[in-house]
Amino acid sequence: MHTAAIDPPGIQWLRVSPKYVTVRLVEWAIGNVIMVGLFSLPLLFVELGWWRWPSLWLAVTVPAALLLLALWRLVLIPRQVRAIGYAERDDDLLIRRGIFFQRTMVVPYGRMQYVDVAVGPVERLLGLCTLKLHTASAGTNAHLPGLPAAEGARLREQLSARGEARLAGL
Amino acid sequence: MTQEQTAVDGDWHRVHPASPFVRGWVALVAIVYFFGRDTFERALQGRGNIGDNFNERTPWLLAGGGVVLLLALGSFVLSWYFTRYQLAEGYVRVNTGFLFKQQRQARLDRVQAIDIVQPLLARIFGLAELKFEVADAGHSAVRLSYLRLAQAKQLRATILGRAAGIADGSETVEVPEAPEQVVLYLPPGRLVGSLILSEQSFFIVLSAIASVLVSVLTESRAFILYLIPAILGLGTAYWRSFNTGYNFTAAISPDGIRLRYGLLDTRAQTVPPGRIQALKVTQPPLWRILGWYRIHVNVAGYGEHHRSEGEHRTMLLPVGRKPEVMMMLSLVLPDPGTADPERVFTAGLTGLDSGAGFVTTPKRAWILSPLGWRRNGFLSTDTALLLRSGRLWRKLVMVPHQRTQSIALRQGPLARLFGVADLVLHTTPGPVAPRLIQAATEEAVSLFDQQAARARKARKLQSSEQWLAQLPPAAMPAPPTTHAMQHSPTQEEPDHG
Repeated sequence: MHTAAIDPPGIQWLRVSPKYVTVRLVEWAIGNVIMVGLFSLPLLFVELGWWRWPSLWLAVTVPAALLLLALWRLVLIPRQVRAIGYAERDDDLLIRRGIFFQRTMVVPYGRMQYVDVAVGPVERLLGLCTLKLHTASAGTNAHLPGLPAAEGARLREQLSARGEARLAGL
Repeated sequence: MTQEQTAVDGDWHRVHPASPFVRGWVALVAIVYFFGRDTFERALQGRGNIGDNFNERTPWLLAGGGVVLLLALGSFVLSWYFTRYQLAEGYVRVNTGFLFKQQRQARLDRVQAIDIVQPLLARIFGLAELKFEVADAGHSAVRLSYLRLAQAKQLRATILGRAAGIADGSETVEVPEAPEQVVLYLPPGRLVGSLILSEQSFFIVLSAIASVLVSVLTESRAFILYLIPAILGLGTAYWRSFNTGYNFTAAISPDGIRLRYGLLDTRAQTVPPGRIQALKVTQPPLWRILGWYRIHVNVAGYGEHHRSEGEHRTMLLPVGRKPEVMMMLSLVLPDPGTADPERVFTAGLTGLDSGAGFVTTPKRAWILSPLGWRRNGFLSTDTALLLRSGRLWRKLVMVPHQRTQSIALRQGPLARLFGVADLVLHTTPGPVAPRLIQAATEEAVSLFDQQAARARKARKLQSSEQWLAQLPPAAMPAPPTTHAMQHSPTQEEPDHG
């Protein structure tokens, strides 16, 4: 995989499960189908002659633009999932994500207050889970989605144990 | 009740019996006013209470009022009776409520800050509220309201003593109040000046000019009327700033930094050493004329929740000149980690380009911030990271390495085009949000790596939450100006009221 310019050199990134693409697709479908459908209603009403106000071109443009945006995001999903990575170092965990808007984050084990494992319905079907790390800062928005359940459990235990060993106060 | 002698043993104690009245006096006044209004009005009009229409509402109102008043008083007594606190085994516990009981406990060694608050009425009665912040944003403050002022101070000294690790939890002896020395006093004149020159005033003048222009152009006087509520609102805002900023005093003691302020309602904050998570020095454009700065800090537990209150609690210095800023910085960071702190901090406050070792936005990215690119920069000393930004609104942010929570590196498409990246340091909730903007990518990446390593090293050096226990007694942390510290509690809260 490609390593972006803002990644620290010499990191061996671990990837999340490719099955996570499915989760994202389901989320995408639920969100965007509803959205595009909703914004297509005026078009339908105008066609049926119930509504007069939105002129035809407007009624066509808005859902079309939304559809294009949705398709663009659909195309990006597999790459976005591939861009999620994590690496366990001796004293901290690195998490990266994003293609256009990239973020690389380091969370020291000693700073972790607690670790959550969350499983949604689609994730459960695919045997995946999401790991969330919490520090004393609300800005630490560290979640790691699409981990295989076993890997998630291992990571949670590992992080908790390391956090315990290196726990510092605030 | 012999509270004063036994305030620090492991027993359960009650707060001062007058507390519910001080807290709920508004309710009492409201009840009396609501039910008694009729009677008062009659009395004022010179009519007897038992007037022409005796059988009508007056007696009923009075009786109803009496019942409600009794109920209120009864609930006051009950709430007082069931509010108890205990200080034992490294915990402070507070029980409240008689129908819905609540027990709240907080670990003493996790204390982030202690406030003694005196609202006006409590001050008149010589009472004070003790607020105890632990490391959790916002809601977990343990508050004891109200205690007698002396008792509150005693309790604060005990809690801080135990939290610092100098007093064993099993002892029942009282810990003496730590000696302190006043290092800064803000004269009211300067406070007024700072309010007049604040951003708020700037916008007021601007909008005043605009409204005068509008009223001249439209030739309508009515427009002015709309301004009255705005003026009232601004008046209250100014008054609140004046009321809380009045008499601002900073002092140092082995317990940490003490801040005291307030005209009618007073507050005394104690922030133990090393509890300040991040700090920012800012200078609005108008303050540049007089060389003033102000300092805000992040302290875990102060949070951002109660906005108006939090705003003042996080203020380490409402207005001060450069020497005062330097002094406060030296209190927060006793070891600046650099050979020439004066030069480094001056460059951070006012400098441009790479003076004193600051690394700024590369020239190729100047278009992203045409004004600020020569100022956006960072400098890492051995103990803290300094981030400066803002050409007009000057800002210097400082984060001690051992307080860094997590670090993120961010880069959007535009930034990638110019080869720059942002570095965000996460800290506890508060007014300071440390962010290095538009640093050259390679520098940001290496800073990201180094910073993680520095934070790791700094955390290892810091072995204990108990700030005095980890040091031999001879090496008590004495900030630069405290060598001649008297061993008597001097300059403690002057007895207002």
